[in-house]
Amino acid sequence: MQLGDTKPNQDLLTSDAVVVELTNISKVFPGVVANRDVSLKVGRATIHALVGENGAGKSTLMKILYGLHQPDSGTIAINGVARQFKSPSEAIDAGIGMVHQHFMLADNLTVLENIILGLEPTKFGVLSLSDARARVRELATSIGVALDLDVPISELGVGQRQRVEILKVLFRGAEILILDEPTAVLVPQEVDELFVNLRRLVSKGTTILFISHKLDEVLTISDRITVIRQGSTVATVSPNTVDRLKLAEMMVGSDLPKPGERTTKIGATTRLAVRGLSVLEKGRKNPVRNVSFQIAEGEIVGIAGVEGNGQFELCGALLGLLSSEGTVEVGGKDVSNLSIRERLNAGLAYIPFDRHREGLMLTAPLWENALLGHEATLSRGPMIDFTAAKKACREIISRFGVLTQNELVPAFVLSGGNQQKLVVGRNLATARTVLIAAHPTRGIDVGAQAAIWEEIRRSRDSGMSVLLVSADLEEVLGLSDKILVMFDGEITAELDPKSASPQILGKYMTGAR
Amino acid sequence: MNRSKIFRIITYVLGPLAVISIVRLWTDQDALTSSNTVGTALRLTVPILLAGMAGLWAERCGVLNIGIEGMMILGTWFGAWGAWQFGPWVGLLFAVLGGMLGGFIHAIATVRFNIDQIISGVVINLLAFFGVRYLSDLVFVGQPGGGVSQSPPQTSAIPRFDLPILSGGQIGGWKSPDVLAWFETRKWFILGDIGGIGRGLTSNLSWATVIAVAIVPISAWVLWRTRIGLRLRASGESPVAAESLGVMVNRLRYGGLLVSGGLAGLAGGTLSIVASSYYRQGQTAGRGFIGLATMIFGNWRPSGVLGGAMLFGYAEGIKLVASDSIAALFLFIAAVSLIFFVVAIIRRLRVRSLFALGIFILSTIAYQTVSTVPESLTQSLPYVVTLIVLATANQRLRPPAMAGVPFRPGEPH
Ligand SMILES: Nc1ncnc2c1ncn2[C@@H]1O[C@H](COP(=O)(O)OP(=O)(O)OP(=O)(O)O)[C@@H](O)[C@H]1O
Ligand SMILES: [Mg+2]
Repeated sequence: MQLGDTKPNQDLLTSDAVVVELTNISKVFPGVVANRDVSLKVGRATIHALVGENGAGKSTLMKILYGLHQPDSGTIAINGVARQFKSPSEAIDAGIGMVHQHFMLADNLTVLENIILGLEPTKFGVLSLSDARARVRELATSIGVALDLDVPISELGVGQRQRVEILKVLFRGAEILILDEPTAVLVPQEVDELFVNLRRLVSKGTTILFISHKLDEVLTISDRITVIRQGSTVATVSPNTVDRLKLAEMMVGSDLPKPGERTTKIGATTRLAVRGLSVLEKGRKNPVRNVSFQIAEGEIVGIAGVEGNGQFELCGALLGLLSSEGTVEVGGKDVSNLSIRERLNAGLAYIPFDRHREGLMLTAPLWENALLGHEATLSRGPMIDFTAAKKACREIISRFGVLTQNELVPAFVLSGGNQQKLVVGRNLATARTVLIAAHPTRGIDVGAQAAIWEEIRRSRDSGMSVLLVSADLEEVLGLSDKILVMFDGEITAELDPKSASPQILGKYMTGAR
Repeated sequence: MNRSKIFRIITYVLGPLAVISIVRLWTDQDALTSSNTVGTALRLTVPILLAGMAGLWAERCGVLNIGIEGMMILGTWFGAWGAWQFGPWVGLLFAVLGGMLGGFIHAIATVRFNIDQIISGVVINLLAFFGVRYLSDLVFVGQPGGGVSQSPPQTSAIPRFDLPILSGGQIGGWKSPDVLAWFETRKWFILGDIGGIGRGLTSNLSWATVIAVAIVPISAWVLWRTRIGLRLRASGESPVAAESLGVMVNRLRYGGLLVSGGLAGLAGGTLSIVASSYYRQGQTAGRGFIGLATMIFGNWRPSGVLGGAMLFGYAEGIKLVASDSIAALFLFIAAVSLIFFVVAIIRRLRVRSLFALGIFILSTIAYQTVSTVPESLTQSLPYVVTLIVLATANQRLRPPAMAGVPFRPGEPH
């Protein structure tokens, strides 16, 4: 499909400048066409972005290039030579590296061990650790990254983990770097740092393939943008010929829904009251210190902050996952000493931070995933009511537009964004009094993001109180009635979204006032 | 060496030594740190240590191994058979091979066919138990001293030796002085204990013990300093990540389980060749499971497993050679938990201080009444000790993240 005024300018690329050339790639999963005749040319030392809806086939295409999937038809050429990659190691040998949408790191191994794994410098099979350390250090400084190499991954924040993933790929001598939604988990400052690093890499001759749903980022960083819709390429454009809306339109094939202004009033009764909440941790500074706030009926309070400043622990304490001091009241009832189950029954609901760790059973079918937390309502006596459970799952699928064949497939076959939709759908349905939503639209395309925002607004209008934790400033500013900035475990500022700008928020979030 | 290191050595080595020395002098129970007790403890430590290392190798590569007990049984039987036929060294080799057979079956079941790892382990335990009974029926029945539940006695043993100078071993033809024994007989505060413990560790040593203890640093070196070790650990921590970097996870799991089985077999072999001179049904007596406990206690690290195994060995040893001293041991535990209590109070750790106080009270009561409590209660001493240490252990446990989770290569994630 061709769009009138955005003609593909692939012809601008002379053939010797083409590093990656994918021609007519098709990939069919049982019942789903993930890629249909996709062709793509990527120029040397450029940043080439791929955009498209959830489930459009971006990750699949990149996994084919990386040798994780084999295409059903079509050819891959690297530097003009036709190649077939049967496994990632063959792709690695050809100079391709991929940072996956979901991190692939061993939490208990150190940074250094994770980076060198599979390509360890050795003498007679014995690790040359000092050699490895020197090489990794050199690599890190060359792209301006500072990391302690001897701590386990579990002690790092997401931004740092991302850097480890990138170093891991560069250590393998990758000249072609695939980044699948690298910015989904980063806050603005970290994104800026990442982009500086990427630019530095490109100036050294690296070619970067970049997937993102954040169209502003795509427009700033990339040299060329390819839009994919329903498994096929729609167009390849240059960022200065399009704008955000245009891109979104190309992705979705229609106009974006526009969020309506708030028409309802915030209620008078307090639904969630938190007083002097601290999360205690031995041997470390307490991750949450003396946090107090209130959320009224029908109010959305946004918590903005760089990840790792206590938001995760705050949510854990509200739900009773972590032990804490201070009081938490839900709907006027003190739940401070109640169990998790009792708190949920008191009307709390939670959209978790990490869909893989806290949200899904990846190998279980969708309907079982949708059942989690609803066992009480979807059962007959002690037995699960299968028909009702499947019906409930189908409702979530249609209401939130989860792209899937049916409710019987395991969760891992869904694309990242569609997994997120399922989790949001399931947990939004349990919310009665207070919804704690952590990054509800992480990894979700613009269209679906607007839809989820709309769902949250609708719940709010029907009187639900929402605590919104997000690193997406647009989301925080657009949805919240009040913004609290969390920095280093404390609430450091309370802002009015009408008068705050992303710049001001960013300043508060980094502790500079 | 910096100051904090020296300080740590003083608190963790000399501290307990001083406490036990005081207890020994006060209660007059020299057996607490006599070379006889410590030597017995060392002998009892070896099979538990090897079983613990077997568990460590398996779990580090990502597979739970409940079948260690069964692999040990295979080790005792094949070891005894080999030693009976060809002498003790070949016997140990056969013990290793017998255990590896068990490890290989576990690998086929769990890695190749994705059978639940616990179920496979349990099946291996049953299979080994009945399998060797069947084999004994075929091979041992009718031989002098042999039967369905027992092998004929072996005629030669693994040689033993004393360390020269420290424990009066021979150098050439010259008999060196026995320095540690000299200290032990003097019974001085701390020095007497060092003499007893040192002599227990360095006299009448079997070469098999030396090999077993050497496996600890060797394992640590292989797992943390070599390429294959890093890949093996990665297979236990995150097989998906390892695979995405071209690591052959399943092949490594086969390897890890073979090593695990071999070590378990060796553990069995030391029971039927070194600690005794024949195979007997039930010889392993649950040591495979105790080995797993030491692995957890040792936080999945070789040095930790050694510590845990020594603890079990000591508790069992003192029960065996000097059951009179058990009361004194409870006094020791009481003293240590009192110290823990004080430290916890100072550091304001409420739960831990209460716990230490509870143990203090219990062990004081035990000290007062131990001569009247039934034998079976004092038998459980090693387990009590482990429970106490596990509960008070300071460190956070870090098991391999994906141990026990089946892995199918090539599956989308
Ligand atoms: N292993 C698989 N088995 C079956 N279907 C799959 C598999 N992997 C992906 N799919 C399907 O292929 C389609 C494309 O998925 P893909 O992950 O490429 O989407 P995406 O563009 O990366 O989306 P997102 O932005 O949500 O990450 C989806 O419909 C998905 O459900
Ligand atoms: Mg994707």
